Amino acid sequence: MIQVTNLTKTFIDPKRGAIHAVDHVSFAVHAGEIFGLLGPNGAGKTTALRLLATVMRPSEGTAVLGGHDILREPEAVRNQIGFLSGDMGLYHRLTPRETLTFFGRLHGLNGAPLKSRIGEMFARLDMEKFADTQVDKLSTGMRQRVAIARTLVADPPILILDEPASGLDVPAARVIEEFILEARKTGKTIILSTHVMEEAEYLCDRIAVIHQGQIKIVGTMAELRAATGKERLREIFLSLLGLEALERKAPHAS
Amino acid sequence: MPLNSISVLYRKEMLDTVRDRRTIISMVLVPIAAIPLLFLGMQKIISFVEKKAGQESLTISVQGGDRLPGLLNALAGAGFKFAAQPDLKAAVESKAIAAGVEAVVLPSGAKEVRLYADDTLQASQVAAGKIRMALDQFKVNSSRLRLQALGVPEEVLSPFTVKRVDLAPPKKMAGMVWGGMLGYVVVLLMFSGGMYPAIDLTAGEKERRTLEMLLSSPAGRYEIILAKVLAATTAIAITALLSLSSLAISLHYVDFGKGAKMLQGMTLDVRVLALVALALVPMAIMAASLMIGIALFAKSFKEAQSYLTPLVMAVVFPLVAGMLPGIQLTPALALVPLFNVCQLIKEIFQGDFNRLSFAITMASNLVYAGIAFLAAVQVFKSEKVLFRT
Repeated sequence: MIQVTNLTKTFIDPKRGAIHAVDHVSFAVHAGEIFGLLGPNGAGKTTALRLLATVMRPSEGTAVLGGHDILREPEAVRNQIGFLSGDMGLYHRLTPRETLTFFGRLHGLNGAPLKSRIGEMFARLDMEKFADTQVDKLSTGMRQRVAIARTLVADPPILILDEPASGLDVPAARVIEEFILEARKTGKTIILSTHVMEEAEYLCDRIAVIHQGQIKIVGTMAELRAATGKERLREIFLSLLGLEALERKAPHAS
Repeated sequence: MPLNSISVLYRKEMLDTVRDRRTIISMVLVPIAAIPLLFLGMQKIISFVEKKAGQESLTISVQGGDRLPGLLNALAGAGFKFAAQPDLKAAVESKAIAAGVEAVVLPSGAKEVRLYADDTLQASQVAAGKIRMALDQFKVNSSRLRLQALGVPEEVLSPFTVKRVDLAPPKKMAGMVWGGMLGYVVVLLMFSGGMYPAIDLTAGEKERRTLEMLLSSPAGRYEIILAKVLAATTAIAITALLSLSSLAISLHYVDFGKGAKMLQGMTLDVRVLALVALALVPMAIMAASLMIGIALFAKSFKEAQSYLTPLVMAVVFPLVAGMLPGIQLTPALALVPLFNVCQLIKEIFQGDFNRLSFAITMASNLVYAGIAFLAAVQVFKSEKVLFRT
């Protein structure tokens, strides 16, 4: 469903010179799986996801999402994805209904099908009571549901989630986790970035550890344990940051 | 479908914009209130200054009045009140009196009237003018009486009279005085009215982290920036229309008193308003593109404000140049942005504009608007600008 090949993003800093935020990264995400990009702050997770969402253009390499190349068909790629980040990115002066209508229309939905889809989202996420209240008057939990509904309104097959639970308290983070697991049940392909070990271990079918723009290892938890000889993801993660040689042993890095 | 996307984006930008309190104040309330307040304020100031100067200028002091019979009566007839002062020069300087008059007999026997006034003091200047007129009239009357006594016809004194025929119709005169200033006010209001929407649509989106969501939607970059420029242009156009409507309503229904007599000559018909609105269209697009392009560089609302405030202030210079008297909109000057539109508005108000200059102004401003829009598109395509940390 997602094939990333040699994806690279280099920024030129006047003081520090060339910075490889994403450095020749390659991996594949299979249809219907949750794929985690795990890395410390500044590892290149957000930049990698922005490249996949075609918000930025790669310096080298490419990626194909749902059969569409990010360089050649960026618009078709964006039609296939739903993007969500921890800060939600909601228009505070719009109501949830207006928000969903706006993003639904941008995805080409209109008229009765859009209305029915919005109604379905409101019912599923229990949003009817505040559907016509401006977002700036809603609680964090309500806003979270608006952000989830916006991501799903066009029913995209691929979800790109950039630290979706970042900055949220435990109950709010739980809502996001449920949303992700529910999305997998409906067959969505999900790529999510996180620096929270628990979250990655609990949610992801496969995990890629990214550090300084490079993928250190890719695999299921069992494969990561086997490759590193460590039991807990935290230990695996820390050992990988210091043992770069393990990168070559990674079973699924492709 | 780009057209559909642009329409969806534009409608959302407008909805978001009209719900912003700051925008409503700068886009709607200020333009509606500014022009009537400007007129009323000026009328109050003018009448206050005139009244004050009129009252102060009435008190004068006369010395040696007995040397010139009839002098005191002539000055009293002009409305002056007299206050005795031993030193006329000192009394004028200390503002105890507006002016001093002294009648002296020269060694030759001729009589001379000396007028003490200080032209740097308005009351003194006004009084001196009135005294001079009263003395002229007194001189003519005295001469007339002497001629009558000698049996000489009065016409000897004035073989001919002079009558000035003012060729400028009241409309042209009012247009010259007010047109330049109103054009300036409308253009300045347009820039200030467009500033908040332009910031909200760019730096505001960055600050609220909504831009990334928009960029990851199927809408293309070109469509997004076009919708933003269209929304800012609409806000600027609304400001202009409200300013012009407020102007038209003020002229028709508000009594500005005696101080604003000039306004009575200025008629604003639909044709004049339509021409002014048309002249402002390219400038609205240019202002919107320019402000969007600049505000995109900012990461926050405050930062964008600090970028755009100097721009709005810089706009003042070409506009003030357009207000200077005697400057005509030549085809060459019609190429100077902002100045050209301000000057054109002045000439439209005067009811006397050159069609070629109108066409050149419109064409050049459309070209500048196009350049400003393309620059904004380039800025919007720059990842360095959009994701500046």
